[in-house]
Amino acid sequence: MKSLKLLALIIIPLGIIIAAVPPDRTRHFRLTADELLQEAGAGVQFVSADVVADMLVQNDPSLQLIDVRTPEEFDAFSLPGAINVPLSNLLAEEYTDLLNQDARMNVFYSNGSVYANQAWMITRQLGYENNFVLEGGLNFWFGNILAATEPAQTSPNEEFAKYDFRKSAAAALGGGGVVSATGDTPTVKAVKPPVTAKAKKKPAGGC
Amino acid sequence: MGPLAPYEIISENTNFLLAFFIGIAFGWVLESSGFSSSRKLAGIFYGYDAVVLKVFFTAAITAMLGLLFMSLFGWVDLDLIYVNPTYLTSAIVGGVVMGAGFIMGGFCPGTSFCGAAIGKIDAMVFIGGLFIGVYGFAFTYGWWEKMYFAKYLGEPKVSEMLGMSDGLFGLFLIIIALGMFYVAEWAEKKFPREEY
Repeated sequence: MKSLKLLALIIIPLGIIIAAVPPDRTRHFRLTADELLQEAGAGVQFVSADVVADMLVQNDPSLQLIDVRTPEEFDAFSLPGAINVPLSNLLAEEYTDLLNQDARMNVFYSNGSVYANQAWMITRQLGYENNFVLEGGLNFWFGNILAATEPAQTSPNEEFAKYDFRKSAAAALGGGGVVSATGDTPTVKAVKPPVTAKAKKKPAGGC
Repeated sequence: MGPLAPYEIISENTNFLLAFFIGIAFGWVLESSGFSSSRKLAGIFYGYDAVVLKVFFTAAITAMLGLLFMSLFGWVDLDLIYVNPTYLTSAIVGGVVMGAGFIMGGFCPGTSFCGAAIGKIDAMVFIGGLFIGVYGFAFTYGWWEKMYFAKYLGEPKVSEMLGMSDGLFGLFLIIIALGMFYVAEWAEKKFPREEY
């Protein structure tokens, strides 16, 4: 009986403490190196420029573009509807709700894809879902969406369909400038790109 | 930081090595507390000895408090702790089979190896029966398979089913365990056995 009382004296206070404290919220999510390597290697984080262009043209509300470059670069040029979250401020508390959500599809972009990839990797390691990377970054965007080059005559039809889509998307997206900055010329706005199902179903990585 | 093996802080082989030493320590403690005697385990069913109940419930509560506190301090990630999936039917059937075996044999698998290690013949016979059961189940697996996987519940936690926090459930479990210990000690006095 004496040992029972001693045991009770020790474990009941401990039980009261553990019942009174809130459950641990400081849990740190971490992928193992293997898992992260597998995801990065498969390129699951990439969204192709065509898909992003299509969503932009259609005003898809689920798309949230996030510019991870510096504010100066963001002011100089940004994609329509993008928010600036400089990579150095990625972990600031004000952005947590933006990055850790399950309603929209966040697409990071930078000039290439290095900084955007870094942002993706950090958020992925924190356990956030729904963050992606614009494949090729702004450089690819300029070179292939806004200044699409006509494919050779011998190219397959698919290439021409892609080219048509990119040309009209470029027109709808203001042909190289910010839509609002270039002014709303009715002729530009009137051009609606042909909605090709083919172009929409092109997420990279092939999931 | 933890659990150590899933986080690759220690390798799978180191994990086995640690398990080996922990297992030896476990066996040593079992033997030195008298668990190698089959009368000790049978005593719980007749009421004259409740050490088994007290030891294993104290172990469960210690582990529970340890995990909850370590999780509170951020030392261990409870989501990565392996939880046996629950198949309700096989859990009940298995519990009945094991319970009957405990009463009849006077050993549980762990204590039977303890007993065999100090040369008890009844423990060795029990181990023989254990292997007959294991191989019998393996070779007739096809007959049981359906029952084996029946009523799958995933990895439920009692605290979740009752809609309370883990900590609160822990407190209730401690109080219940202490109540059981109290009743068990009363039973030990009520059904004493002179010599066993």
